[in-house]
Amino acid sequence: MPELPQKKVGIIACSGEEMAEGTVTRLAALQVLESLRPDDTVTICLPLFLAGGEGDRAFARYYPTIAVDGCDRRCAARATEQFSGKPAASIVVTDVVREMGLEPPAGCRRLNDAGQAAVAETAGRVAGLVDELLDRRWSRRKGEFIDAEPIPVPVVPAAKTTAGCACGSGIPVQTVAIDGTPVTLVALPPLMEQLRDAGKTPSPETIHELLEQVALYNPIPAGEQDAYLAALTRTYAAFWGQLEAVV
Amino acid sequence: MSDARKVVIVPCSGIGKTYGTVSREAAYEVIEDLRPDETQLVALSMLVLGDEGARAAVDGSQTIAIDGCKLACASKMVRDSGGTVARSYAVLDAYRRHKAFKPAGIAELNEGGLQLAHALAEEIAGEIDILTRGEADNA
Repeated sequence: MPELPQKKVGIIACSGEEMAEGTVTRLAALQVLESLRPDDTVTICLPLFLAGGEGDRAFARYYPTIAVDGCDRRCAARATEQFSGKPAASIVVTDVVREMGLEPPAGCRRLNDAGQAAVAETAGRVAGLVDELLDRRWSRRKGEFIDAEPIPVPVVPAAKTTAGCACGSGIPVQTVAIDGTPVTLVALPPLMEQLRDAGKTPSPETIHELLEQVALYNPIPAGEQDAYLAALTRTYAAFWGQLEAVV
Repeated sequence: MSDARKVVIVPCSGIGKTYGTVSREAAYEVIEDLRPDETQLVALSMLVLGDEGARAAVDGSQTIAIDGCKLACASKMVRDSGGTVARSYAVLDAYRRHKAFKPAGIAELNEGGLQLAHALAEEIAGEIDILTRGEADNA
């Protein structure tokens, strides 16, 4: 598999604004993204699965994803599965609160002490899951693990590092005409960049290599390989031509 | 005021940027402090999932969307859920109107962010008064 952006784990919080547990999910996710595992995690806003583009909807296929929900309606886990891909793991704050014997979180704007404790505990569990998921092989084509092992839910100590925003992690996509029909191909731009950076001209060998890589991230319907090859030939030639023009 | 006639507030769900936090803070100030009897909050995640209660809330009410970025998820989701956006607010536009209040922070807003959220909340409260007055006049 080509070395596209470093393997990371996606975190999707329900962010439910109407309940304190929703605030817990948001703050716990932020803690993981900014402090606990900033180099290994990315996020996307849940509504972008509908309001965004193909790259946003590819999120949970591209990254093994942890859904962090406030309650057992599990909006984040269910919506992620429905619109993007099955989450690799899932945490529900009300379960965490019950297991820890905490008081119910309160205060959507300013969490009470129980809410703050729930944030710390939830963030620790998510960070532990991140470590678990990073150790396993993920198929971006199928959006699932290559080895199907159950995932335990450990609690790990926090390791504070530099904070950083991880928002806006839609996967790069490009729409190409395949036999006259527009098809959006996930990860095509970075794949072409990689070939270009390797100095590979738009030869038949390069296009076959590109097709193989595209197929890692996109299902190619049976019998349409030649149409995809033709489309990729045009697209990569244009991409390469832009480079020549710039140079 | 009955729930059916309350103005629905739908803020951004963004967790990665300051403006998303400002949108939520403004929404909370409106529904908790400024116009608690005239408003109800609907969570974006419920609309994403197509929750019947959330859809019914935006379908039958005047809705104010508060968006944290140009992707305008709140406005789009209200429309996609069959609702009508009576008024949408973009936090960036609010900042342009109130440049003295420079927001920073995500988990916790700085003073500028809180002031910007307050200014936006006041604007929204004014709009709610107009919307509810119109409802009363039409009743």
